[in-house]
Amino acid sequence: MSTTLAPAALNEPQVQDPGRRRGWAPYLLIAPGAIWMLLFLVLPILMMVYVSFWTQTTFAIKPILTTKSWVTFFSSETYLSSLWTTVRIWLLVLGCTVIVGYPTALFVGLFVRNKTLSTVLLVLCVIPFWTSFLIRVLAWRPMLGEQGAINIILMGLGIIREPISALLFTELSVVIGMTQIYCVFMVGPIAFMLSRIDPNIIEAARDLGASFPRIFRKIILPLSMPGVVVGAIFVSVMVLGEFATSAALSGRKTNMLGNIIVTQVGSLKWAFAAVAGVVLTVVMGMVVALLLRVVDLRREL
Amino acid sequence: MQGPVIKPALAVYTGLFILFLYGPFFVLGILSFQTGPEGGPQFPIVEWSTYWYRHILGLTPPSRIAPLPIGEALVRSLVLAFMTMVVSTLLGVLSAQAFRSRFKGSGVVFYLIVLGMMVPGVLVGLGMALVANTLGIDRTWWGTAFVLHVVYTFPFAFLVMLAIFNRFDASVEEAAWSLGVSPARTFRHVTFPLIWPGVLSAMLFAFTLSYDEFSRTLFASGRELTLPLAIYGTFSVEIHPNVFAFGVLTTLFSFALLAVYAILMGLSVRRARRLAIQEDIT
Repeated sequence: MSTTLAPAALNEPQVQDPGRRRGWAPYLLIAPGAIWMLLFLVLPILMMVYVSFWTQTTFAIKPILTTKSWVTFFSSETYLSSLWTTVRIWLLVLGCTVIVGYPTALFVGLFVRNKTLSTVLLVLCVIPFWTSFLIRVLAWRPMLGEQGAINIILMGLGIIREPISALLFTELSVVIGMTQIYCVFMVGPIAFMLSRIDPNIIEAARDLGASFPRIFRKIILPLSMPGVVVGAIFVSVMVLGEFATSAALSGRKTNMLGNIIVTQVGSLKWAFAAVAGVVLTVVMGMVVALLLRVVDLRREL
Repeated sequence: MQGPVIKPALAVYTGLFILFLYGPFFVLGILSFQTGPEGGPQFPIVEWSTYWYRHILGLTPPSRIAPLPIGEALVRSLVLAFMTMVVSTLLGVLSAQAFRSRFKGSGVVFYLIVLGMMVPGVLVGLGMALVANTLGIDRTWWGTAFVLHVVYTFPFAFLVMLAIFNRFDASVEEAAWSLGVSPARTFRHVTFPLIWPGVLSAMLFAFTLSYDEFSRTLFASGRELTLPLAIYGTFSVEIHPNVFAFGVLTTLFSFALLAVYAILMGLSVRRARRLAIQEDIT
């Protein structure tokens, strides 16, 4: 860049000091974006932390600092159980997306050596994203209901006699729905890492007599771990911040921290909502930090 | 690759995976043709009809099922997505251009920008609502919700442009500059045509993400609903197949958008090829 701007400056008499311009140009270019993020991303988050210490009255909040909302949060059965629900659903969905996604990623990233076919498969995975997120959530209702497609198929095959009513409006339906919506974020990064494995390594291992399970354990799995971690970060952040899927598929029985925030805001309990928000932020930060400790992404990518 | 069993097994598994991804949507599509207004959002199909599609367009006689409040919401969502697209693409191009040279604090700024796509909508939405309350600003879809949409989509535009600039040959710009072409003209005639495919992708990302965004909008917009909020509103009440029909229509709309993108992309590729051929001839 430093060399590219100098000739331009020479040809432009209105620029007096080419050195100064060269130094300031990136800052001028980055300023709008950085300021936008500071004002509309960092400031709101800080505001949330600040408001969590405000005094909550029935219909309003007053900027008198207190820890009362925090005490209420951590002594309330409802809030603590929603924290536990959030963590439980996060772990379940994370596990399910890895289990559901990994074999597909293995096939797309490692076994399909035909460029066209792997592109087609990846595009097939991405197409559902062009349907509204909420519609995709809603589509699970006619799938899982008592008269839903799954029950009809299972009964038609004679596997079950009575429709399974536990499929919809339970925690199970929330986990199924979230797994379907987020598993592609797991498949993508893993498939990417797998496609970078040099086939010669696997070839060599096989020539030396290694069985597939051994090759998988010693070569494929370790080399794909960065992909798993990146996918896990995507899935974790999105699942932890969820409220729509749990509201739509659990019949408002499963309350995650996100749902607590929505209801508190709805009843103008801003300080409580802010406390739940800060707790959610802390949980999320811990999860991401934990995942980053598993694999050093900077070294691996 | 390894043995005769594993590859076919994984192929079958991948097939099931695709079925898992698309299954619910097929069911939704089938049920959108349920008869109306008495047919419910479940099997069996009483009678095939296009009643719910006409219901959405307001072509059916009034019944106890209220029509979806989508007319104005659709316009708002499109305007909002367009505004978001323009601003976040602009910010993305500017920021990525800045990152072509190393500057002090670039690491921090990089994380600051990427944070925008990582922080969940509930948190920024709540924070923005609190800021607006404190400052006494009214929450509107074109104000507080719009800035949050940009916070969300600008990082995507930025990353796309960063990838484009990484493969960009800076010597063509240098050539133009050394020939005495002004930076503005260079940008217009040299840089911009080269980065146009990236800009187009960034625009597509920003538009579709904003068009579908709802958790930020839920907190930060006021009483006027955008399209996703109108759908979200139906979650709390009994759902009818009109929501399914609407889902099919929005999907078709998205594919139309994708087709426009593909056509524009194809045109720019063809133009680049034609220019390359001309250069070969001359």
